[in-house]
Amino acid sequence: MTWTCEQTEARLSDYLDGLLDAAEWTAFNQHVNTCAVCTPLVASVAHTLGGLYALEQVEPPPHLETAILLATVGVARKKYDFWAWLRSLQSPRFVYGAVSVAATIALLLTATGFNWRKPKLADLAPATIYRRADSNIHVFYGRSVKFVSDLRVVYEIQSRINEGDQNPAIREETIPQSSPKKEPGRTDNTNPSAPKQQNRANDISRRLEVLACEFPILSGSLVDRRVP
Amino acid sequence: MRRHTRRIFNICYRFTGNRTEAEDLTQDVFLRVYRTLASYRSAHGGFATWMTSVTRNLLIDHYRRTKRDRVTDSLDDAMPVVENKESVARRPDEQALLGELSGQVQSALTRLSPELREAVILRDLQQLEYIEIQRVLEVPEGTVKSRINRGRIELARILQQMGVRPA
Repeated sequence: MTWTCEQTEARLSDYLDGLLDAAEWTAFNQHVNTCAVCTPLVASVAHTLGGLYALEQVEPPPHLETAILLATVGVARKKYDFWAWLRSLQSPRFVYGAVSVAATIALLLTATGFNWRKPKLADLAPATIYRRADSNIHVFYGRSVKFVSDLRVVYEIQSRINEGDQNPAIREETIPQSSPKKEPGRTDNTNPSAPKQQNRANDISRRLEVLACEFPILSGSLVDRRVP
Repeated sequence: MRRHTRRIFNICYRFTGNRTEAEDLTQDVFLRVYRTLASYRSAHGGFATWMTSVTRNLLIDHYRRTKRDRVTDSLDDAMPVVENKESVARRPDEQALLGELSGQVQSALTRLSPELREAVILRDLQQLEYIEIQRVLEVPEGTVKSRINRGRIELARILQQMGVRPA
């Protein structure tokens, strides 16, 4: 196979990349080894390829990725920011959160005495809120203490009454026999006007006796009241 | 993201020989890819090949835009060639020579015509297959091979003109 300088130049890359078949490769080598023009050409191109392969990868600057993200995703986010925000409002998590926050605010405002029927801007002043909250807290505390106290007295009375009903002997012993002959309701030594009045007087008298028994401190005054 | 950034930046840097321009072009590439992502079809090749194609188009556009500036700059570039020739002869250390050669190859690359330059960069620096280069450049395989071959020979001639000779 004859080989020319034109063929050498045209097939040089195939030779360097190993794409020539055996016959072409032999002919190429024979020609290059004897040609004064092609020998330096092949050598210089091979040297150039070595230089190309020796080129190392260049590291991009660190801020480039950030700049790219800002130029791509950043722009898009700005463009669709409003709609994305609107879409985010539809999520159940946001709705629950908003309802919770609204309920909390309403509760706090109500606790501070905010008038929902006639709302005023002055009602939202921090000083006003503080004053009303302080007042409401004190009122609430006072009512709570009174309620608990009343509840305790009522339960105590109830329990003692129950105990008395279950053990009549104890009740009889504890009831003071101050004036057995005197009829209840007759404070002015006159007979009651009607049987209903007599029954009611008896009932009140019996309860007073129980109370006097349960609270001995009061027994004296209660008994004294019965006897004019 | 990081892998693509590095690859695209390297293509741009080898094509332009300027880091600042390479940064701007890399950013432009990603911006165009982001905007035209809907036009990508996997049937026409891999995503990396498509991205390289976008890069190539932008580089050619950039080359055409800045052609006038380069004509005036090329006159100023004549002086460093002579200096490089002398400096190569003076440096005995092999590693230094390799570094010097890399700089000269980069310099020579920027003097190639854009058609030959892109072919050489894609083949010899990015190690792409002929079929991938064919897709990127949108030319027949024979043209790809021809451009790569002519690019290498032309690059060797430029290096010879710069005083770089094989050992």
